[in-house]
Amino acid sequence: MEGQQAGAIQRSSFFRKPPPPRSPILAREPVPALAPAPRPRQLTFRGSGGTLFGIHVVNVLLILVTLGVYYFWGKTRVRRYIFGQTEFEGDRFAYHGTAKELLLGFAKALVVFIVPIVALTFVRDVLDVEPSIKGLAALLISVLLLIFIPVAMVGARRYRLARTSWRGIRFSFRGRAWEFIGIFLKGSLLTGLTFGLYYPFFVTQRQAFLISNSYFGNERFAFEARGRALFWRFLLAIMLTVPTLGLYWVWFLAWKRRFFWNHTRFGTAQFQSTVTGGALLGLYVVNALLLVFTLGLAWPWVKVRNIRFAFRYLTLGGPLDLTRIQQEAQVATATGEGLAGFLDTGFDLG
Amino acid sequence: MQHEWQASYLDGRTAVRQDATVRLMREGLEITTGGAWTRFWPYGETRQTQGSYAGEEVRLERGGDLPETLVIAEADFLSSLREIAPHVSARFHDPAGRSRRLRLTMLAGLAVLIITGGIYLWGIPALAAVLAARVPIAWEENLGRAVVDQLAPAAQRCDEPQLQEAVATIVGRLTTAAPGTPYDVRVIVADQPTVNAFATPGGTIVLFRGLLEQTGSPEELAGVLAHELQHVFHRDTTRALIQHASTGLLLAALTGDVTGPLAYGLQSARALGQLRYSRQAEEEADADGIRLLAAAGIDPAGMIAFFDVLARHEGPLPAALGYLSTHPSSADRITRLTALAGPAPEPAGRLLAGADWPAIKRLCRR
Repeated sequence: MEGQQAGAIQRSSFFRKPPPPRSPILAREPVPALAPAPRPRQLTFRGSGGTLFGIHVVNVLLILVTLGVYYFWGKTRVRRYIFGQTEFEGDRFAYHGTAKELLLGFAKALVVFIVPIVALTFVRDVLDVEPSIKGLAALLISVLLLIFIPVAMVGARRYRLARTSWRGIRFSFRGRAWEFIGIFLKGSLLTGLTFGLYYPFFVTQRQAFLISNSYFGNERFAFEARGRALFWRFLLAIMLTVPTLGLYWVWFLAWKRRFFWNHTRFGTAQFQSTVTGGALLGLYVVNALLLVFTLGLAWPWVKVRNIRFAFRYLTLGGPLDLTRIQQEAQVATATGEGLAGFLDTGFDLG
Repeated sequence: MQHEWQASYLDGRTAVRQDATVRLMREGLEITTGGAWTRFWPYGETRQTQGSYAGEEVRLERGGDLPETLVIAEADFLSSLREIAPHVSARFHDPAGRSRRLRLTMLAGLAVLIITGGIYLWGIPALAAVLAARVPIAWEENLGRAVVDQLAPAAQRCDEPQLQEAVATIVGRLTTAAPGTPYDVRVIVADQPTVNAFATPGGTIVLFRGLLEQTGSPEELAGVLAHELQHVFHRDTTRALIQHASTGLLLAALTGDVTGPLAYGLQSARALGQLRYSRQAEEEADADGIRLLAAAGIDPAGMIAFFDVLARHEGPLPAALGYLSTHPSSADRITRLTALAGPAPEPAGRLLAGADWPAIKRLCRR
């Protein structure tokens, strides 16, 4: 009986061998109340670039045939596959978003931001109007962009977390858009005024906002890091820019990633990142080569490589008590009034 | 065909995984979790959300946004389900259909290649031509003015009246041979050593002093101007802008994404495509240019002779690099033009008869 089942699964796979089937008799071990980790926990990606390419090819055909309308359905299919192939502690993630939501989010962004920006660009560059009006248009474009970016980041994060679940429990993001706009505007202004020196503080505040407002069920993620620690490394990177022809920035990026993850907690469990600048550089170079020599066709394999890379260097250690987690999904419908509520409903551009 | 399966049950309220036994019945699933607590899921209320791909566990959900979940490790569960309850097999994935799905995917790939090739080779140029014809001339003129102001600033122009008059005569001879054009053609001579000339949207042609100095006779300059005029008439710059945007869209469709590191591979594809369109436009400008010369009664030998001069300056171009060039090689252009050129007109058609061309050229030197 077991042999027949194994044979059936072998025949039905084409691109990759599946993991060996579990015995139908032996159930999975029950999860104890408090789970001390004998080894740090990792995320595993079980999918393959080949399968993703197959999904992608069908998506492309339907996008071309529907003159682009299928784009949102295609994106949803890809996300569902990627999330469904990501495994943590024996359970897979699930993506609950629908293409209609992406379409709606895109329409929202179009009306509120993209159409005005395009119209203002038109006024600034092509139409025959007075220079003062062109100047005003240019100013409005900058303001809109400065507001659009944080709103889009918050909206996308809110949407994606709310549509992700693990063991049936939904993630959520509860930060308010106006707060992030404030951080973003203040950070951009100070970074500009200090010729970039404020950037590490800005980026740390940004990360703190994004992480500490993220929840799994009723338990929030915590982020405790000071921008000062990043600042010295940033200064070093600036000084080493010319001698290393800019390559040191890859090492800086790796350091920043380690710094951020090592200060991120979930309950009593602690994240840990061991990524190195060398590994990161290798990833970028091989990806670029793959994409250039296949004129972009190798994109699904590159995506899988990136995911596997991210998972390889990330662990979650320490005691993880999953019994305290309760479902506390934030229903993402328009509850607020006016633009703030509109901005806070969570939308993804696709 | 197996009726009882081991599974994991998630109640949608906590993150605790419970072991369960699932029994396949005709009307639904009977789920028993530890302590003999039994639930019944009718098939009509159960949906499958994962398990269509090899190696994926079967995930069944029941409920609204925050459903109860059942996870079964083996794909054979689905085969058994189809045998026991064939009337609901449409709701659940058929593992036996995976090889057919693979074949359909490969067919889809072939279709994508054909459609993309068609769009690139025919669709985008056709669309650009149609749209470019509908762009208002005023918009083109604004764009052209911005380009000219940047590349040939007013302080660096040759505006000696004699030179301007000579050039205007040549241009006038050409435009009278091409009636019905809505453009107000102007030629600006820029005081820079570049050996080049280009047309901007809206009808302004910029001619660099370097190229002017290379011409041996008014007929040669007429050849260059005829070529550039064709760019104006064909609205090539506007078309190139539309083509550029369209290839961007096509690439976005092909990859689903144009942001981030994907940009590397895509920009190279896009650039190659743009270069090919550019070479086509140049060939058309050459061919129509020489026809315009014939219609204006100007000796086409001048245009061909000028390309000869350019070719000598260019040096041999390796055949492979031809794909990286915005223009066809001068040798190719000479061959094509010679084939298209008609007989020389009577001497009465000579441009600026009696004028001292070398002296006129020197007028540009400040």
